[in-house]
Amino acid sequence: MIRSVLVLGASGFIGRRVLRTLAAADDLIPLAAGRRVAARTEDGIEALRLEDGDTAALSAALARVQAVVDCRAAPPEEMRRGNAALFHAAQAAGRPLVVQLSSMAVYGNAVGRVDETAPLSEEQGPYAAAKLEGERLAAAYGRAVILRPGCVYGPGGTQWSLRIARLLKARRLGDLGAAGDGIANLVHVDDVAQAVAAALRNSLAEGQAFNLAMAGAPTWNDYLMAFAQALGHVPVRRLSARRVRLESKLLAPPLKILEMAAARLGGGAWAPPLIPPSLARLFCQEIRLVSGKSEDLLGQSWMPLDEGLAETAAWCRAQGA
Amino acid sequence: MILDANDLPDGTPQEADLCIVGAGAVGIAMALDLLDSGLRVLLLESGGVAPEAGSQALYAGTVADPALHSPLDTYRERRFGGSTTLWGGRSMPFDPIDFEARDYIAHSGWPIAFADLAPYYPRANRIAEAGAYAYRADQAFTRPLAPMIEGFASADLSTDTLERFSCPTDFGRRYRHKLEAAPDFRLLLHANVTGIALAADGGSVDHLQVATLAGRRFPVRARHVVLAAGGLENARLLLASRDVHPAGVGNGEDLVGRYYMCHMAGTIGALRFTRPVWHGYDIADDGTYCRRRIALIPEAQRRLRVGNVIARLHHPRIIDPAHRNGVLSMLYLARMFIPYEYAKRLDGEVRLDLPTQARHLWNVLADMPGTAAFMWHLLRDRRLAERKFPSIIIRSKANLYSLDVHGEQEPNPDSRLTLCGDIDALGMPRLKADWRHTRQDIASIAAMLEVLARDVAASGVGTFTYDPDSVAHEMTRYGAYGGHHIGTTRMAASPRQGVVDAQCTVHGLANLHLAGSSVFPTSGQANPTLTAVALGLRLADHLKTLAARPPVSVSTS
Repeated sequence: MIRSVLVLGASGFIGRRVLRTLAAADDLIPLAAGRRVAARTEDGIEALRLEDGDTAALSAALARVQAVVDCRAAPPEEMRRGNAALFHAAQAAGRPLVVQLSSMAVYGNAVGRVDETAPLSEEQGPYAAAKLEGERLAAAYGRAVILRPGCVYGPGGTQWSLRIARLLKARRLGDLGAAGDGIANLVHVDDVAQAVAAALRNSLAEGQAFNLAMAGAPTWNDYLMAFAQALGHVPVRRLSARRVRLESKLLAPPLKILEMAAARLGGGAWAPPLIPPSLARLFCQEIRLVSGKSEDLLGQSWMPLDEGLAETAAWCRAQGA
Repeated sequence: MILDANDLPDGTPQEADLCIVGAGAVGIAMALDLLDSGLRVLLLESGGVAPEAGSQALYAGTVADPALHSPLDTYRERRFGGSTTLWGGRSMPFDPIDFEARDYIAHSGWPIAFADLAPYYPRANRIAEAGAYAYRADQAFTRPLAPMIEGFASADLSTDTLERFSCPTDFGRRYRHKLEAAPDFRLLLHANVTGIALAADGGSVDHLQVATLAGRRFPVRARHVVLAAGGLENARLLLASRDVHPAGVGNGEDLVGRYYMCHMAGTIGALRFTRPVWHGYDIADDGTYCRRRIALIPEAQRRLRVGNVIARLHHPRIIDPAHRNGVLSMLYLARMFIPYEYAKRLDGEVRLDLPTQARHLWNVLADMPGTAAFMWHLLRDRRLAERKFPSIIIRSKANLYSLDVHGEQEPNPDSRLTLCGDIDALGMPRLKADWRHTRQDIASIAAMLEVLARDVAASGVGTFTYDPDSVAHEMTRYGAYGGHHIGTTRMAASPRQGVVDAQCTVHGLANLHLAGSSVFPTSGQANPTLTAVALGLRLADHLKTLAARPPVSVSTS
């Protein structure tokens, strides 16, 4: 039975929730690790500062635990290096169980109902390719659980919460018509944390992959509408397909440069959020992630959308969105 | 998958589990609902993606009185998306009373109740993109709204029911990507149904005869056939298919084409308010434009023994330059740039003399800032907007309005469609429309106006003056309300009283079903599209169940 768990990326959006969930459990003892952690977290959990590429420190940390949850978020190249280092170190450190957070991006441009047996693809670009390579390493390693979440939202989430809230506030997102008919395969960050805990407890999960998306996930149009209502950014605007194309093809590149410049200057919050072509594509991708396996094997349940959106909206408002 | 019938080999039969005729509001909504059903669905559309004069000309016919009915190739579009390429988007459900048999409305009563249709309205609303399914102001808005007429109180009239507006959504343009991507689904463009061929015993459809204007002809065989070709064409197809039944398909009781209803509509009187009024649009959270109306409540309808009537506060009559409003005069002067279907009720096709036209021009010049602001609003909120501002709203500085009335028509067997002697380019007999109204139609509106005048005065909010003797004239000034084609293949439990049964299946023909406003036994006050779509979705549900059963005996030879 697993008791000690190393949480990599413990100061990130998902890592923090995973850490808190594991700490609240009687049967699990988490050890936090990350680039920006102090010796102890705010909740009093022991933490290790772990710099990228410090394989010795990683090996030492792995030697102390029976499992590791990889919650690190990184650009594709960094992700590849991190994955290679992790599995290499894990192999040398007694082969703890690895819970790996992959992504629905590994299903590529699939549409319709997609379960864990669907073909995997790198067609969505470097991010998907890096996630897929991580899955291959996990399979070769042998002692891993792969979680494939959809769009993880919740307080603290930038990509699917704060960015969307800022775009809704600016009326740059709203009712997208046909361009928003895709399925928003949402999963609340607490549900991801619960899935991690369940995967650690259930030995049958080892060697398996699990989709994670709420049952009855809404369309993007419905999600944007519900989120705008929760935020109070109503009435929403109907945006034409032409406008969405303009946003993703013409406006996104200069905004991306601005975002990178802002990040270099140490800020970033003032840079307007962008809608990259990949996001515009996702908005109309009618892919429904089937998560029945996680319900059956991990006992997964899903936070109701209105409840999840209410707390997310409150957090986003506090961030000025 | 979307195909062109002209690309198919001549004479090659096409087969499907279900064939829907007509890719308009109802046909497309039904197709969307059936995409995941496992049924092989074939949707036949006469026109192409863009307007085509040749296809549109197939709609031409004659009218008994051109003053009372628009030409038959107006107010409807024979192309992918059907008349949703033209519609204004006004949406609201029928009221429960509309389904009831009322002894004061001849031939009233549906074989189904509002509750039978209620489950399908929210999805219909969603497909039409009319926002949340909430048709009372207090349901649709959590924020307090300014009263429609401050201080107005009436026991017989309500001011809190809404009409909601679709974008207006062109169903073809909006849902094309879903139809293109769907497996087991084919949309055939340029495929005109020219006849319904019955099995020899006359008890089922054997096949549909399909022709293209380019000369292709082929049969379509399907286990079930749905006609969703519109309120006029459904009747035309039945009447014109006479190979087994000489009177036409489903017409054993001479009911097809009869009971033809539109709506009674017109502008009347002068409402002068002493208190603030709000007659414009309120925007719901979902961005939908909503507008409140004055409605005669069901209890009052029963007590007064009249039909369902609603009214809106309206600008003064445009053609009379005495309104001294630059915007209204500009609309009059620019009428040639406005589509026929919308211009008709603006100017009534009245030609004014030069001095009067000059007064209109003076109004425009004298009110330049107001006119310019209106033009900007029109450009930004209507022309360029994806969700369009639905209509012309003019705030009256004098708090003076006219009343725009929309009322139910009583079903009348003498108001009817028949085949006229002409045929179209494909050899199909053309239609003749002989639209009529009844005394009760006018009486219902007259009663509503009387109640309104009484209650406006009693509330102390102003006055409503009108000439009671002019009601019939004003309500027929522009003829039948265009585009609402109702009742021509009415629904009834008994084949002696209706063409289709409560499930929209033609009496005596187990595999032929009709969808759209042609099956409405009564017209209600509501614009028909939303209810036509809801009924289509109900039929789609029924067909999913039917499809699970063994096929009806259809010859496939």
